[in-house]
Amino acid sequence: MKIIAEKINGTRKRVAQAIQERDAAFIQNLAREQASIPHTAWVDANAGTAPQREPEDLIWLVETIQSAIDKPIALDSANPKALEAAIKVVKTKPMINSISLEPGRRDIFPIVAEHDCPTVALASGEKGLPKTQEECLGNIARLLEKTRSMGIKDGNLYVDPLAMTIGSGIRNGLIFFDSVREIRRQFPEVHITCGLSNISFGLPARTYINRVFLALSMQAGMDCAICDPNNHDIQTTILATELLLAEDKHCLNYTRAFRAGVFNKPV
Amino acid sequence: MSQELIDLVVDMREDEAVKLAEKLLDEGAEPLSLLDDCRTALGIIGDRFAAGECFVPELILAGEMLRQIGAMVKPRMAAGEGGEQKKLGRIVFGTVEGDIHDIAKDIVVFMLDINGFDVMDLGVDVPVARFVEAVKEFKPQVVGLSGFLTLAYDPMKNTVQALVDAGLRDSVKIMIGGGQMDDQVAAYAKADAYGKDAMAAVTLSKGWVGAK
Repeated sequence: MKIIAEKINGTRKRVAQAIQERDAAFIQNLAREQASIPHTAWVDANAGTAPQREPEDLIWLVETIQSAIDKPIALDSANPKALEAAIKVVKTKPMINSISLEPGRRDIFPIVAEHDCPTVALASGEKGLPKTQEECLGNIARLLEKTRSMGIKDGNLYVDPLAMTIGSGIRNGLIFFDSVREIRRQFPEVHITCGLSNISFGLPARTYINRVFLALSMQAGMDCAICDPNNHDIQTTILATELLLAEDKHCLNYTRAFRAGVFNKPV
Repeated sequence: MSQELIDLVVDMREDEAVKLAEKLLDEGAEPLSLLDDCRTALGIIGDRFAAGECFVPELILAGEMLRQIGAMVKPRMAAGEGGEQKKLGRIVFGTVEGDIHDIAKDIVVFMLDINGFDVMDLGVDVPVARFVEAVKEFKPQVVGLSGFLTLAYDPMKNTVQALVDAGLRDSVKIMIGGGQMDDQVAAYAKADAYGKDAMAAVTLSKGWVGAK
């Protein structure tokens, strides 16, 4: 299981302030804290600023983060200019977050193709978020036609089927698990990811929903998640689920995590 | 007024609420008074939502109960009794150009609708010109701009500016909402207000049309 660590996101008030004030120490702490978790594969960088400022802010974020950690960065933007600018300064091959069939994201495909980057591929279509499972799978099939025609390898894609909140449709969990299975079947090479907390939007006590959703999604074939890697519930759920799905030889990750105190109740 | 009906709706007892409404109508209750009870219940549910004691799926269920009871009431109202309940006002709503997010927008439109507004939902990725056209046609008192991404800031600003250029800005109040929006974005886009959730949109709109 790979994690795209989500906390350096300029749409969070405290991070926005750090970006504005060029508070490098704050960003570096967040980067180190997230990168210290073994499952963290990329540390996401989202400037969340207005389009004109974004290239400059994203460059600053990338330089600040990579001076603190060695793990690669996920460049999180819908703005091709910001992505192009940031990719020039990034030291380790980054992930691009994200491509989709939405008209505004068209210019991001060539960047992914040129740099041979792993990329999040959203299942949204030209006209919006998929309303049904058929639409979701149809969008993904068309997206893959496009990436394949541009020479982007399936193995570089982290497909996000876009979980809909369970609060607006009681079958949305089932639909997501089915979609994950179907993507696995049709496109065995792609990876599957999602923003973990969307599923529980609008509901109370969200952490219980999020962690069981994570376990069930992993069982269906999801192998990546965009989430907070330092969240105790997420960490422990991943360890236990990998164990149960035979992805933890000799249970070593689990027992090591126990000795390292990962299962101690956070204070 | 039936306190029992209000309580059943507030307690999310769908079957019992619908059954009681049917019974009350059979016993000759005033059809319009049932709708008033539903609105009273909805107000309580809205307050609980704002206080974090009641959640999105419950808002949706409340709307569903209101729809069922409304469908029952309608055929029993005498012709010329006003038929449709008088609407509080008209609202044009849409997700701005370049943004395709609709989940939260749909919830807001739904809440405005069941709270008595006549809402024209323009959908997602709505071009600036379409908003201007809709304001001309539909003559709303309120315009709602929704957007999830930071990329929606400028389209929001452009939409407000286009309404200024078309000489329509003074005829409407404009509210914005969605993922990354806040009061600063509202100021940047020169909108009149930011609403943090569906109930905030209802409260703002009611305030602007002078309903309580």
